[in-house]
Amino acid sequence: MKHLATAVLIVLAPFCFTGCGRQPATVANPPRTMISVFAAASLTESFTEIGKRFESANPDAGVEFNFAGSQQLRAQIESGAEADIFASAGEKEMNAAKAESLVKADTVHDFARNRLIVIYPKDNPAHIAGLKDLATPGIKIVIADVSVPVGKYTRQMLDQLAADPAFGPEFKKHFLANIVSMEDNVKSVLGKIRLGEADAGVVYVTDVTPEAAKDVGSLDVPDRFNQIAHYPIAVVARTTRGDLAEKFEEFVLSENGREILSEYKFLPVSAAGR
Amino acid sequence: MADETPIPRRRSWRLLILAALPLTALIVIPPIALLIRTSPGTVLRYLGTSAVIQAITLSLWTSAVSLLITVIFGTPLAYILGRGHFFGKGVLEVLIDWPIVLPPAVAGIALLMTLGRRGLIGAWLARAGIEIPFTPIAVIIAQTFVSCPYYIKAASVGFSSVSQGILDAAALDGASPIQRFRNVTLPLASRSLMVGGALTWSRALGEFGATIIFAGNYPGRTETMPLAVYIGFEIDIHQALTLAAILLIISFGLLLGIRAAYSKV
Repeated sequence: MKHLATAVLIVLAPFCFTGCGRQPATVANPPRTMISVFAAASLTESFTEIGKRFESANPDAGVEFNFAGSQQLRAQIESGAEADIFASAGEKEMNAAKAESLVKADTVHDFARNRLIVIYPKDNPAHIAGLKDLATPGIKIVIADVSVPVGKYTRQMLDQLAADPAFGPEFKKHFLANIVSMEDNVKSVLGKIRLGEADAGVVYVTDVTPEAAKDVGSLDVPDRFNQIAHYPIAVVARTTRGDLAEKFEEFVLSENGREILSEYKFLPVSAAGR
Repeated sequence: MADETPIPRRRSWRLLILAALPLTALIVIPPIALLIRTSPGTVLRYLGTSAVIQAITLSLWTSAVSLLITVIFGTPLAYILGRGHFFGKGVLEVLIDWPIVLPPAVAGIALLMTLGRRGLIGAWLARAGIEIPFTPIAVIIAQTFVSCPYYIKAASVGFSSVSQGILDAAALDGASPIQRFRNVTLPLASRSLMVGGALTWSRALGEFGATIIFAGNYPGRTETMPLAVYIGFEIDIHQALTLAAILLIISFGLLLGIRAAYSKV
């Protein structure tokens, strides 16, 4: 029974991003000014923590979150959702928002980076010990669809591997032949591996939380093949709480914010900044 | 039979129509809104692309197979439920309803827990080298699981409404049990079977939640029309709209065709 409950949680988790909607970081006390932060699903854990710290540093302010796919968040802001901050998991969505003047262009800053990792079920049924094992015929690989940022990065990683003589185009061909499913978001990839239904998957480093690490093992992807996801943040153009929104963005970019993000395994933005 | 109900006067009819409007509008307007946003030209253009053809083909053949399975194995079950009297019948009837009330995502998980390679039966199958998830078979199982109750329920109501008197008379005339079923029960219940079959097929064609969890998403193998619409929504809203319009036209055509076929019978 406990196994079933865990499975239900694992599989339904991605649907919660669309279903659960806004989650107030804490119970609201009336006189506070609330800001609404629209953040990528992969920021769920780290931004919830950042929200708590921001609130304790600013007792008169409150933060509520809406976590979902970056593409979906942009569409929501576009259709008039009341947002003050937009934090995207990809530059594509932020650039689109900037082009449509949905965000204040001078407030767009990268605040974190992420990278890919290969995961497999803890008991490793396909005996994956190195990247080359991903080309073993007959193993089952699950990745994200190309429409999802992580799915796009996964394919770019494959191209890099194919270009390396140690792997070559044959590696890519076999890898692609092993794919059994292209999931609609990164948490669904994680779920299939956690349940042991597939032999390997490609997700972000930050998806392997301590909780997920109980069910999966991981294989690092060397820098020369790995892809770096950039996370930009910006103040939404239509905000009526611009001062507080800017304060929140500053907090995310501050030493404090960076520390929290690195606790959740996000990479810092390169020293040169933007 | 219909003549027994008193015909409401004009005013009552007006009231009835007024009361029937909200739900009619709720059902009719969304498909219209969907079709307005798509032009016949783009629909035709997308219809020619291999990705769309793949999804349509997969959807049609998997849903047809699941309908076939439902009719073959659902008819005896419906007969037992409709005409049998036995201990635990009520419980069985409630159990058969459960795929209908279950959220499809939960159905997908339940199927993984059963037939996944770590599942109750799946682990055992995996040892024999049979793995069901991520295959068209998984698509068919998911579709059958969520759609068969519609046929079973309708068919059992149909079978139960055949009067025992007629069957007794046929038996007196020397008809064998098989003849009674073929020549009496089946024709009398045919309308219910048709309606149930149409519902089951449409539900199988529209199946999404259980499929994406149990069968995954792979073009040509497990990416049915509903999955293609969902994935397409994230890439390009226009493509998703077009696919949705195509799905709408196919399922509507299917229901209409079955209705037309029935009215000729």
